[in-house]
Amino acid sequence: MPVISPNTFAPPVTRQAANDAAAPVAQALREKVRRLERAHSAERAGRLAVPLGVPTIDALLPDGGLLTGALHEVEAGAAPSGRVASHDGAALGFAAHLLGRLGTLRPAGTLLWCRRPSGPGDAPPYAPALAAWFDPARLLMVTVRRDEDLFWAMEEGLRCPGMAAVLGETRAADLTAGRRLSLAAEKSGVPALLLRSQPAPAQSVCTTRWRVASAASCSTPGLSDLGAARWRIELRRNRFGVPSVAETPTWLLEWNDETHCLSVVPQAFRGSTRARDARLAG
Amino acid sequence: MRLADARALVPDLLTAPGEPQADRRLIESIANWCDRYTPWVAVDPLGGALAEEGAEACSAGGFGGDAGLLLDVTGCAHLFGQGEAGERALLADLVERLSRHDLTCRVAMADTAGAAWALARFAERQADLLCPAHGQRAALAGLPVDGLRLDAPILETFLKLGLRRIGDLYPLPRAPLARRFGDRPLTRLDQALGTLAEPIEPRRPAPAFRTRLAFAEPIGRPEDIAAATSRLLAALCRQLEQAGVGARRLEIALYRVDGSVDRTAIGTSRPNRDNPRLMKLFEEKLGELDAGFGVELMILAAPEVETFSGAQDALPDSGAIATSLGEDGTIDLADRLALRLGAENVVRLLARDSHLPERVQTTGTAAKPAAAGAWRRVADLKGARPTRLLQRPEPVDVTAIVPDDPPSLFRWRQHAHRIVRAEGPERVADEWWRPRPDGSRPPANIVPPYRDYYRVEDDDGGRFWLFRDGPYTLAANGRPAARWFLHGFCA
Repeated sequence: MPVISPNTFAPPVTRQAANDAAAPVAQALREKVRRLERAHSAERAGRLAVPLGVPTIDALLPDGGLLTGALHEVEAGAAPSGRVASHDGAALGFAAHLLGRLGTLRPAGTLLWCRRPSGPGDAPPYAPALAAWFDPARLLMVTVRRDEDLFWAMEEGLRCPGMAAVLGETRAADLTAGRRLSLAAEKSGVPALLLRSQPAPAQSVCTTRWRVASAASCSTPGLSDLGAARWRIELRRNRFGVPSVAETPTWLLEWNDETHCLSVVPQAFRGSTRARDARLAG
Repeated sequence: MRLADARALVPDLLTAPGEPQADRRLIESIANWCDRYTPWVAVDPLGGALAEEGAEACSAGGFGGDAGLLLDVTGCAHLFGQGEAGERALLADLVERLSRHDLTCRVAMADTAGAAWALARFAERQADLLCPAHGQRAALAGLPVDGLRLDAPILETFLKLGLRRIGDLYPLPRAPLARRFGDRPLTRLDQALGTLAEPIEPRRPAPAFRTRLAFAEPIGRPEDIAAATSRLLAALCRQLEQAGVGARRLEIALYRVDGSVDRTAIGTSRPNRDNPRLMKLFEEKLGELDAGFGVELMILAAPEVETFSGAQDALPDSGAIATSLGEDGTIDLADRLALRLGAENVVRLLARDSHLPERVQTTGTAAKPAAAGAWRRVADLKGARPTRLLQRPEPVDVTAIVPDDPPSLFRWRQHAHRIVRAEGPERVADEWWRPRPDGSRPPANIVPPYRDYYRVEDDDGGRFWLFRDGPYTLAANGRPAARWFLHGFCA
């Protein structure tokens, strides 16, 4: 014979009461989650942000710029035609720009550049070009044979007090190593950059991830010379940042190697920004 | 005597094949072990020379013809006691410790290496082994002439002439002796008697600065070794400070109870005598050391030192001073990285005044960065440069509409790139004033070879740096003679 408990027919008020009893728990959990989130948020340790120099992009980034004491990734993207880019010259240029901007926090600090040579066809970064973004005399170049050594060297660099920024060139996508780098950067406040010559799997712990592909430049009308370097840049990950309307915000940027500034090319405008500026001035 | 003859005489003779290499290794390891007494240890050069010639046995006997170590213990014996008692104690200690390793040895001490050599091999009484100061003339007089380290033919002639003892040579007039036998016997005699200096060439350079720590009980735990290293380092740093130098290289040696020695070394990119920093470098290396059955003695030496006036301690909160002296930790970081990755892999980029793109960028040690503004100047002088430069230019197949024009298509690593925009040429001529890599100088009256560099952009927006190696000319088969190369990638 089934035993029917009186509680079965109790009014829903009791359930409401149970919910009320659970409410503080949920409240506490929510608070805990918030605290955990804040533990990795920009407020902690008073991290600074360095503006990128492009107002449109800076508006989306937390605190109006790239966070120091965080890991940022730059990867080379496919060409507009969908073909895999044959080199990462553009990504290197953008990474050098970031490194130069992040290096302004400690103007005399060392920039650590770790890389793993890729055999006989290796193309190391070329300092006369890098001089546009920062003084190559500040660079400490480290060559490694294994990826473990690369991450180790970067971590050691992040712990060094005189370091302005640390950059690592690698193809390896190691989640644990990325996490360690991110924590080390957070602890010391030194920014870390990872430069990948090929697109990496999406999961990662970095604060921002940029995909850079070179774009066709704009010649002087009537000539077929090379204009200022143009890059198509996607912001694929923007932690703590302002959500954008587009899923992955994309810009066409132009690097002016005479004025050393980066600017967004308006999509409607087809000519060179230099020509436009001249026209506006005139 | 042959083996067969020997067996006929003594039927139950025990025999073993000679192993000169093993003997050599043994004597080397004993020499390593002897570093505990003095850094000036040499393997007897005469014995070594004979062994290399393959002589069966040295006239002096000894095993394999290659026995003997020379130790310069000047200034070391007082550690064992005052005056002659100390010397006696040192010899006794040496014999006692070697006998613990089942090694039988004869040890003699004299003012000169030659006298000690002769005494160790030919002294008849135990008491003669320690020759008193300036007593070598009397001590050697009674010994056979074999004690003079001479070649066998000279010794045979001496014996035929009735010159059996070294003392027999003393009264002989020197000039006829030299005329008959050359200057060798006189040199050896003078060296043994101390009228001619005979320096001992140590096996490893004797460091000017070293400290040692002996343990009553052998130690083996890594923590103990680290603690001992830290004590040694503190003592060595005091020595360095008094001398006003800093170490560029430090070497630590563990003398194990089984007589073997394990060493490791650290290097610094600039003179250093900062105890905590050096200890940090050592911590990376101590893991590689093997204590074996236990360590009874540790010696820390600084084989390479440089003058170092020291850095003034900065006042608190004066970060500016610290950074201006390069004390911001970068050098320490570079040392630590170099320890694991090799010094050639942790470098600074230096600018060089050159027109050839591949010669502009060189590398230097981590401690000496390029002067501020040196790179800026180089970059301003040149045209647009690629962000990456290939270590060696890679040949590309090129199609051009007009021969002297920039290419309209190039093929690199199986990929065809259609060129949309091109800029150039930038002509870079060979530096005729510089000798070629093979040492020859190019003739001055010809046009030096040159390259025409073009910056090109393909239809994907990729920017490349190409050059044509020389002027456009046609080869005999009607094809262009000048080849095209890819040299870099632009931003």
